[in-house]
Amino acid sequence: MLWLYLHFPHLLLDHLARSQETPAAMVTVASTSQQVLQVCPLAQQQGVQAGMRLKTALALTPELGIVHTNSTREAELLEQQACWLYHYAAQIVLYPPDGLLLEASSLLRLYRTLPALWQTLENALASRRLTAWLACGITPKAARLLARQNLGQCSDDHTLLAAQVQELPLPATGLETRPLERLARLGLTRLGEVAALPPRELARRLAPETLAHIQQILGQRPDPQHCWQPPHRFQQRVDFMQEVEQSQGLLFPLQPLLNELEEDLLWRQEDTDRLQLTLHHRDHSQQALSIRTAGPEHRASAFLELVRLHLERQPLPAPVIAMTLTVTRFLPRGTTISRDLLGENEDPKEAWQTLIGRLQARLGRGALRQLEPQADHRPEKAWATAGLQPQRRKPPVTQNPPPRPLWLLPSPQPLQQPPQTWLSGPERISSGWWDGERVQRDYYSALLTSGQLAWVYRDDQGHWFVHGWFG
Amino acid sequence: MSDLLNTLIHDARVWQGRRHGLARPPSHSTGHATLDRLLDHTGWPVGALSECLIDRPGIGELQLVLPLLKQVAESERMAFWINPPCIPYAPALAGANIALEQVVVIHTDAPGDTLWTLENCLRASVTGLVLAWPGNLASRDIRRLQLAAEAGRNVCILFRERHQARQSSPAALRLELEARDDRQLQVQVLKRRGGWPGQPATLEIDGRLGQREPSAPRVITGPWAGSMG
Repeated sequence: MLWLYLHFPHLLLDHLARSQETPAAMVTVASTSQQVLQVCPLAQQQGVQAGMRLKTALALTPELGIVHTNSTREAELLEQQACWLYHYAAQIVLYPPDGLLLEASSLLRLYRTLPALWQTLENALASRRLTAWLACGITPKAARLLARQNLGQCSDDHTLLAAQVQELPLPATGLETRPLERLARLGLTRLGEVAALPPRELARRLAPETLAHIQQILGQRPDPQHCWQPPHRFQQRVDFMQEVEQSQGLLFPLQPLLNELEEDLLWRQEDTDRLQLTLHHRDHSQQALSIRTAGPEHRASAFLELVRLHLERQPLPAPVIAMTLTVTRFLPRGTTISRDLLGENEDPKEAWQTLIGRLQARLGRGALRQLEPQADHRPEKAWATAGLQPQRRKPPVTQNPPPRPLWLLPSPQPLQQPPQTWLSGPERISSGWWDGERVQRDYYSALLTSGQLAWVYRDDQGHWFVHGWFG
Repeated sequence: MSDLLNTLIHDARVWQGRRHGLARPPSHSTGHATLDRLLDHTGWPVGALSECLIDRPGIGELQLVLPLLKQVAESERMAFWINPPCIPYAPALAGANIALEQVVVIHTDAPGDTLWTLENCLRASVTGLVLAWPGNLASRDIRRLQLAAEAGRNVCILFRERHQARQSSPAALRLELEARDDRQLQVQVLKRRGGWPGQPATLEIDGRLGQREPSAPRVITGPWAGSMG
């Protein structure tokens, strides 16, 4: 078996750097101590090193960005990385807070050679601007230890890999302090020297867990792994080093997020019509934006356009420190032909969705309505509005309908002066006794002195109203 | 002098307009024979703005566009109604055989939104017809809409008030609509492409009261008619 381990030396910092337009030097610091834990490459160039005191680091780089570590955030981030890595590899094991293990021997059937797989991963990491140390190993633990030391080699030669592990200094083997001290007192410095001792002697001198750990590194004892399963949703989060105060400032970091969504949707062969964008504010309150497209969609550019329109509509109530994009609703993808063979005509269904999606994003969902006749005799209830749907059933057409005006007034207006000419009528409408909105009216069509052809009625109290215009 | 002219014409150094037939701009027939004749059979221009100047609804202005609306709905393209002054009444539209699934009514609140919506609808390839009641428009806004209609090759009819007839407008067709006492619609062409403004014409708008409209008024006035006024 061959294992491949990815160690992210400063995942949190890489993640923060992705949402910055201009790179800045950053370090992570544990919230309790004053010691620098992780250093980004930019800060390294300026002389900051892990293990330094924060004061020293600040003296070297006054504009240093300081990030507090947060184990839940790091675990979330690691899972985000596993999500895209799942596109390349089937069996992934999470090693929080900063490592991912891949089972590589089965992947070699797909990628043919190890360098091809290695290169694919390197490219994927580079396109996401992530730093990761890769290493191969014949056991999961061996791969992990080599990666953490950045000693990884692109090789599936078992003797070479075994020799590399033997060469590891003992402090780098992940053993606890007390067994390490004991082994050091025995005069042992490298793993190979420990491995050369007879197991019985080792078992007498070391705790059973320590022995198991060493044997698992060397592959002399089974080391079962639990593979990770991707969740059936897409969730990505961006954190900002500096608070974003303008909604326009959110669009830049949103772009890679949506690109990743597009890639994910392409990979799933699915579409979505609902994005959930959560903006996190400093005072721990959240603002949720629900962005809906008119139809199934997967293109990042279309999503970005809709989000831009949404953000233009509502200003930010408070500065934003982080933003999460979640998609939980996936739709099976239909046939997508955006252009015909000659590239001249747009697919009408797609053009329809684009237009309606844009309009709804800017005007709100309620602004666009379609009309539907209803089976009711009362004129104000004989029509209804409906939300937009791409395919609608045709409403039944009533045969030989009585004359109706093309314009209906939102509410009947009192008739101001007697009409010039009576044209037709009366048509008595008496209905609605069952729902308390009873009408009893006699409808006439009449020409008013203003030249308008009106639909007027007289109610049972003898008052006259205009209810519509024959436009 | 005439020798000089003859030589000029002979040498083809002077371009003579009357020899060239005018390229007919694309258009939709209005569906009203009188109006088509008035417009020299050009109809509603495609890819350009048309304006109907009208003071109040209910004088037959929708009857004027109904044939076009029907054509558009039959060709499976969308007809947008933007900010109509009253409710387009679904039973009457269905009664006029208009496919309601192709009709979308949009209401906008802000004037900026109205223009934006108009422009987007006009630029889309799924749109066939845009009917809009935009309120006050600056000349430069109309120019923007004109460009959008050109880009999308759509028909756009703006309903504006009659006092705006005096304003100049880049629209390709401007009609002034007025009601006449005998329920007919008087149409005056204020401006059209490739021709002069015409004489006012009277359009017979039939069928506003449905197919069963009696030839002679047959109204049961009842005892209450006298109480009116």
